[in-house]
Amino acid sequence: MINPIYIVAIGLGTAFSLGLLRKLGKEFSFWVTIFALGAMAFISGHWLSAFLSHQITSTVITTAGGKAPFVIVFNMGMTEALFSFMVTMGAVFSGFYLHDRLIESGPSAMAVLLAGTMGLNGIILTGDIFNLFVFMEISAIATAGLVLLVSDFKALQAGFKFMLASGIISGLLLLGIIFLYNSTGTLNISELHSKAGVILKSGGVATYLITIALLLELKPFPANGWGVDLYEGAPSGVSAFIASSSATAAFFVFLKVLPLGGDISLRIAAAAGISTFVFSNLMALSYKNTSRLLGYSSIGQLGLLVGIAGLSKHLGDKTLMIILTLLGTHYLAKAGLFWLSGIVKNPNTDEWRSLRKSPVLFAFFGVFIFALLGFPPFPSFFGKWELIMGLVATKMYWWAGAILLGTMFEGIYLFRWFSRALKLQNNDTATPAVTIYSILPVVFFGFFLFYAGYYTSTFVPALRVMCLAPLLFILLLGLLDFLPAFLKNIISLAGVTAYIVYLWPHIQGNTFKIVFAGIFLGGAILALIAGFYRRGKHMGFYPMTMLMFLGLGILVDASNLLELFYGWELMTIGSYFLLIRGERSLPHGLSYLLFSLGGSLAMLFGFALAHASSGSVDLSALNHIRIMPALAYSLMLAGFMTKTASLGLHIWLPGAHGEAVADIHFMASAILLKAGVFGIILVLGGMGNTQPYAQKILFVLGWIGALTALIGNIGAAFQESAKYLLAWSSIGQLGYIVFGLASMTHLGWLAAYGYTITHFLYKGILFLLIGGVAFRVGTADMYKMGGLIKRMPFSFFAVLIAIITLAGIPPLVGFTGKWLVYNMILSKHLFYQGVVIIISGVIAFLYLFRLIHVIFLGQLKDRNRKVKEVYVWLLIPAYLMLTAIFALSMFPDMMLARLGRMLTPSFPEGALVWDGFTASSRYGTFNLQIIMAVIGATFAAVFLWLVFANRKAQKVKQFNIFYSGEAPSRPELTHYGYNFFAHYRKAVGFMATPLVTRFWDQLSQGLHGLSSYGRAIYTGNAQSYLYHIVAFVVVVYLLSAGGIS
Amino acid sequence: MNFDPMKIPWSLLGLVIVFTIGMFIRGIVPKITARAGMRIGIRFYQPWIDLIKHFSIQTSITHGVMFYLGPVFRLTGGVSMILFMPLIYGSWYFSNFAFAGDMVLFLYMMFFGTLGMALGAGESGHPYSAIGVSRGLAQVTVAEIPLVLALLSVAAQHNTLSITEIVAAQQGGISHWTMVTNPVATMAGMLALLGSMMNSPFNVVLAPQEIPVGPPTEYHGTFLGIMNTNRSIFPVAKVVFFMNIFFGGATNWGILILKSFIIYMWPVFVGLVFPRFRVDQSIRWFLKVPMLLGILAVALI
Repeated sequence: MINPIYIVAIGLGTAFSLGLLRKLGKEFSFWVTIFALGAMAFISGHWLSAFLSHQITSTVITTAGGKAPFVIVFNMGMTEALFSFMVTMGAVFSGFYLHDRLIESGPSAMAVLLAGTMGLNGIILTGDIFNLFVFMEISAIATAGLVLLVSDFKALQAGFKFMLASGIISGLLLLGIIFLYNSTGTLNISELHSKAGVILKSGGVATYLITIALLLELKPFPANGWGVDLYEGAPSGVSAFIASSSATAAFFVFLKVLPLGGDISLRIAAAAGISTFVFSNLMALSYKNTSRLLGYSSIGQLGLLVGIAGLSKHLGDKTLMIILTLLGTHYLAKAGLFWLSGIVKNPNTDEWRSLRKSPVLFAFFGVFIFALLGFPPFPSFFGKWELIMGLVATKMYWWAGAILLGTMFEGIYLFRWFSRALKLQNNDTATPAVTIYSILPVVFFGFFLFYAGYYTSTFVPALRVMCLAPLLFILLLGLLDFLPAFLKNIISLAGVTAYIVYLWPHIQGNTFKIVFAGIFLGGAILALIAGFYRRGKHMGFYPMTMLMFLGLGILVDASNLLELFYGWELMTIGSYFLLIRGERSLPHGLSYLLFSLGGSLAMLFGFALAHASSGSVDLSALNHIRIMPALAYSLMLAGFMTKTASLGLHIWLPGAHGEAVADIHFMASAILLKAGVFGIILVLGGMGNTQPYAQKILFVLGWIGALTALIGNIGAAFQESAKYLLAWSSIGQLGYIVFGLASMTHLGWLAAYGYTITHFLYKGILFLLIGGVAFRVGTADMYKMGGLIKRMPFSFFAVLIAIITLAGIPPLVGFTGKWLVYNMILSKHLFYQGVVIIISGVIAFLYLFRLIHVIFLGQLKDRNRKVKEVYVWLLIPAYLMLTAIFALSMFPDMMLARLGRMLTPSFPEGALVWDGFTASSRYGTFNLQIIMAVIGATFAAVFLWLVFANRKAQKVKQFNIFYSGEAPSRPELTHYGYNFFAHYRKAVGFMATPLVTRFWDQLSQGLHGLSSYGRAIYTGNAQSYLYHIVAFVVVVYLLSAGGIS
Repeated sequence: MNFDPMKIPWSLLGLVIVFTIGMFIRGIVPKITARAGMRIGIRFYQPWIDLIKHFSIQTSITHGVMFYLGPVFRLTGGVSMILFMPLIYGSWYFSNFAFAGDMVLFLYMMFFGTLGMALGAGESGHPYSAIGVSRGLAQVTVAEIPLVLALLSVAAQHNTLSITEIVAAQQGGISHWTMVTNPVATMAGMLALLGSMMNSPFNVVLAPQEIPVGPPTEYHGTFLGIMNTNRSIFPVAKVVFFMNIFFGGATNWGILILKSFIIYMWPVFVGLVFPRFRVDQSIRWFLKVPMLLGILAVALI
């Protein structure tokens, strides 16, 4: 093994020799620097590799034959090797990225980088606490030097504040070391650990000073103004170095020294860390400066790590894994983001739209953002999972809640930033200038995040390999994104088919899973068939589509809560990128993402309570949760209801779906929403209805379902856009399903399943065809259409059947849903909720008639006289679904009897009795075949009679109508379509008042207002910042009851 | 119960009888209302003359397929409602195909013809048609509230959704009628009935002086003949339904005619007394007393 002292030797030696190499040119010096940093990284990497392959054990390396602090003593263990490697690799890539600046500044700057890296390595490796102080000083000076690389006033200020803060911190640290030496007679960190008991008795102030100094290095709230300004003022490459390398080293040493202070020290760390995480992210909400945002985010992430270190006693042997995954993600993602900020140059978040002109970099921007927020497949996903599971299992509920709250704050500003960059117009922006030096580090770190995610997942036994395999397929699709859309469509179809072949043996015999697999993956096939209408390349569409569908597939296949959550999060990412593709989707896509994030976090807490209750992450953990069951089930339900867009959590849906194009609208509404239903079924199945808390939850849930149906349907009636109308309609329809499930009866669940299937079919038809019509006509505003039956007869017919089914009019299968609801209402005596549901169904007539009338009937507009029928690729899946509707209408037992058999073990009472095609409940009967025969025969008879009696009827021209002797000259004059239900609005329009939207708006404003108060703390005044540091030290000392003693 | 082909001719006979009753009522009611207004009124057989006239018109025009099918949907809806309705309690011959469904089927069958006709009228391209439909739909959504509440109350009272069983439960004298055993539900139901019988104050859907005749504006000749045929069936189907649910049903045709005529006259009398509401006014009206009565009906179960 190479002696790690060479890390210091190479760093220092090269730094000094750069002066001698000056004549060989700056470029040469630069490559020497990179080579030296690479050699340093190689040494630590070599050690790390040996440790990982279990070839060696931890070693103490002494130098010069003396004793520390007069000579350097290094401890080299696996964690030291890992952290050293991370720090040095960060330096290598930061150095590479800083090529232009280093060349401009010359060898002295390169020497500073080398010295700084050497100092950070020293911090990690040293076994002597005084040497630690020395190395910290070296790295602090080097950091200041790097910050001052540019002759920028802001950088100068930042460097100055950093130096002042570092001075105080160093003073505190030195004082602590002196007291400690006085108390223990040693400076060796290992020996200090062995004397922890002595230290706690006689060296409380000493360890307090050391701990607080090292904590201050990590920039705790609110004594971190200098830190935020440092990130904001430093050149982006340097910020990346600080966020990745410096922060990693500082955190490591904090981790190393923390145990010296005993429990109180841990408590300080936990409190300071978690509050830093929450408040930093809260403060960031009101900023648009990316460097500052990243600064807050970095400080927040470090705070989280500090907090986790403080909570290590509760997290047990998972602590290291949690820390490494979160730190690793932060290290890679934050460096990547700082590097990207240097490429974009403009610090305003909105200006990152220019990055879209470099799609690869923009893709990595997304990777870094999603990784930071703990989405799969990145390491932080697993860390976040274990963290919350661990905290909740040890009853640290408030800590877990605070962490989730902080994550939500972070999600708000990071997703806002990303979404705006993704959607804002960028025609007026220049293409970012990239060089190999700026792009390579970003790409390398971006790819490494994926690898790190994979590597982490191999340590997670609860996650099967098949959950990862779809990601490879998506990666392949991403690499083939240059291909024409139809080829990618074929590949995607093959992928979905292959997944179905894989999945089938796992779900065979499980009706519940078959139903949802059919909707998710059968829907995927239909959506992809529809996708053949697309021309061109349609970049980025297919990987995200497949991410959503395969995420849904994993959801069905999930054998435990982790896999369920994994699939859920993948599906969320994919669906977000699909929903935000619409032209005006920016606010709606963002809203979707934030609700999804909030829902995921709520769900995670719920899962953690389930895990804590049962000690397992199996799906059976959802059964009869013992620890805070009401909270657990409520949180999980709320999480899943963000997808079903239930009342209160629905405001994202109308815009997100309303702005989506035809096939995406189909995917999002007919398919994606069912993921929420899937989750609710799992949760309710686990909760049961016997416990008092369950009955309360079900009561509330039932009302949420009923009112969602009412508000959704009323909202739909007042829309002018067909797409928005359908979106609101989906809200209403999902309300029926939630209501049915909340009843916890056989018939209620049967109705819910029935609605789930039929909603998929009829809404599938409507979304595809209405979207197709809107595409042809060029608008989704219904009043601009009219008379399109003459141009689009096939679409009209399919839409007609779909709306008859939706309305529940016999003899089509939609009627069975209405019938079941009536029976369920009677069986449970849910009259008031039931009436709301039934009336909602009647209100559906309003928007359904409006939809078909204003689009297809009435007067054909001049500009639409030549529009063609919608694409045949949209008609094919629509007619396939139409066939399914007819089949289910003819043979409803095919669906209902099978579902009934599935439900009987759970709900043995109240099952339907089938006698041939006659279904009977305790209250009533229906036989859809006889109903269909009677109606069909009557219809045929009347029709034939009319054909006979009216055989001479002539078709007349459009304006040949009874119009008081006048002939209308323009179709617009006689097409009654705009504000169709004006009278209805006049009477009950108050019910469409967007109260929920106002609530969320005000909450958002409140949060931003609170965030703005941060400016009172972060004034930019160096004196204030120093005061904060001193006050922090004193207040924490007083709060911790006199220090560590 | 299995399907028996012999049901077909008997059901058709029942349909013809209902149609005849409907035609008679449609002749007699305008006469009564005219006399109430100090006018002479039409001849009681005028609907037959009108019907013959409509079916005799040889030349007619159509605005398209859906326009053509609208009346077909309309009449199919009305006829089906009768065919799924038990007309005479205890009679196998006139129980029709009631075994195929229950009260829920009847409620949703009501919309079959309405929707089809509305779509057909929509294709005519006439704004009055669309305005009429828009008004009608808006009104029916609220008129349904007291009706549904009342029906749920009755269904819960008798523990069944089957119309036949509800009628059976009311046998044994007037004291067993729902009208007596559940008067609040009956009141709610009867107020709801006002909203669907196209009489004042809830006839703004057709509003003859304003939007000629609303939805059927463009229909004429055979089309109108079919729709007029339905006008003699559909309202009778509704009043027979109310008779079955609230007023003990009928054990013979005489009782059926008497009860259905009286029920039919209820909205007629109200219409004679009260002027027409605007749609928003009728919506608000249904959301007050009728809805409260409906809620009370359910609460009292």
